[in-house]
Amino acid sequence: MSDNDTNDDVRTDGSGTGIVAPDDETPDWSERKERTQGLSRLTYEYFERSRREDQDLRQQSDYVERDVLAFPAWPHEMMRNLALTSFFVGMILFLSAALPPEMPAPANANQTPAIILPDWYLYWSFGLLKLQNLNPSLSLLGGQKLMADRTYGVLANVVVVGFVAIVPFLNKGSARRPVEQPFWAAVGMAGVVFSLTIAALSVQNLIPMDSNLLLDLTFLFPIVTGAITYAALRTMREGYMFNLNRRYYRLRPPK
Amino acid sequence: MSLERKDDHDHNGWMESRELTLLETIYLTTLMWLDKRLRVVDYLELLEDLYYKVNMQMPKSHTEQYNLDNKFWYWYPLYALGSFSTISYIVAAISGALLGFYYAPAAAASDGTMTVAYESVMIIMGQLNLGYFLRSVHRWSAQVMVAAVFLHMLRVYFTGAYKEPREINWIIGIILISLTLVFGYTGYLLPWSQLSFWAGQIGVEMSLSIPLIGEWVAQLMFGGFTLSQSTLQRMYILHVFFLPFITTAIIAVHIGIVWMQGIAEPH
Repeated sequence: MSDNDTNDDVRTDGSGTGIVAPDDETPDWSERKERTQGLSRLTYEYFERSRREDQDLRQQSDYVERDVLAFPAWPHEMMRNLALTSFFVGMILFLSAALPPEMPAPANANQTPAIILPDWYLYWSFGLLKLQNLNPSLSLLGGQKLMADRTYGVLANVVVVGFVAIVPFLNKGSARRPVEQPFWAAVGMAGVVFSLTIAALSVQNLIPMDSNLLLDLTFLFPIVTGAITYAALRTMREGYMFNLNRRYYRLRPPK
Repeated sequence: MSLERKDDHDHNGWMESRELTLLETIYLTTLMWLDKRLRVVDYLELLEDLYYKVNMQMPKSHTEQYNLDNKFWYWYPLYALGSFSTISYIVAAISGALLGFYYAPAAAASDGTMTVAYESVMIIMGQLNLGYFLRSVHRWSAQVMVAAVFLHMLRVYFTGAYKEPREINWIIGIILISLTLVFGYTGYLLPWSQLSFWAGQIGVEMSLSIPLIGEWVAQLMFGGFTLSQSTLQRMYILHVFFLPFITTAIIAVHIGIVWMQGIAEPH
């Protein structure tokens, strides 16, 4: 036997690889993708487009080529993160050593405590449950209320959370800073103050104040804060934004 | 001519032809052994590709582009609030896992006697070495996490970071805040003290007052219309099983999206 034996015929003894070398007729991957139909064709076209878009973006003036990482992750970034994290964890440990929690009496259904309260972060939600005075009664139904007071309270929670959730779909555009959008900054400040006043309403039996007055103030304070914020930001806006945004808006015009 | 077929990829021969140190030999042998079985090289290539995709080109940061460093440095500390909530979540997870060795969610009664759950918390606080501190750490890290999460939301709102490409992450953030609150609430109920009991009472009444599905929700979450052993058990399983898995997964998605979209820098 020698290597001069012709091996053109297909070997069937299992010793070959069975892999056929690609000839000119064999499509490569990009050709295969181009030949696809229907949804996969659409996908291919879209990806090509977005790749081109990426390429264009990269060639814009505000992109810089960086073939080396900018700020070294190790050790610089890691050391900084480690320091911040240890400091923060240390703060938690310090707090827990200094102010350990109390343990109240065991559960007793026969003895209602003077004050029933959840943890502080649920006061706002608890306060929204106490808005029965605002539950409208219909004269058509003979002064009856449309829904039970407690249903109204749960619904108030849903409304508040739902409003926060749709904020990005209500407030559009490229404005970011509070001075650029005084209205939404005012809404935010009113919301912050409302979350505090509604928390105060939830502990109304601890606050030495007429409960009707407290209810009025709960809604009045946020509105006043919002109005003040709006006025202040509108006043600041002109001078502040002129200096700051000349270059910014030249490159990125507002929608 | 040898009887053995010539190997084009004679890695061992190649290795012997080179002068390698012992360390290099061991490394290469291990790598080749693994690669023969798992074809590691393909995956390394994938990783390398990913690495260059991520790192080759980065846009100028906003502050770089507009020379804003001197104007907006005061926003930057507030950009740490997201990390702070994650860190305190990790601290709470570790201390909570340790507390779980000693706590038993058993025999909830509501007649003012000490239940097994209450007793086990008392044992943790009174007799276990560093137990009181452990419970304190768990409670405080939870409080700090809630506070950090709320402040994080305010920062995102007031710097407009929820805008156009980031709406999904804003909504995921709202889901995460709600999960954090539910985490806190279920944990609040576990010692089965007076506060826990009456907070649970409010919870049952809240779920009962949901229109149409109220009774079903009360059954599902509280195991009945009055507080009982099944309430405590459900709160426990929610707190140590369902919520950790769900919350950790959603936090991973949340941070992953931030990584993909980049941090919305202060303007």
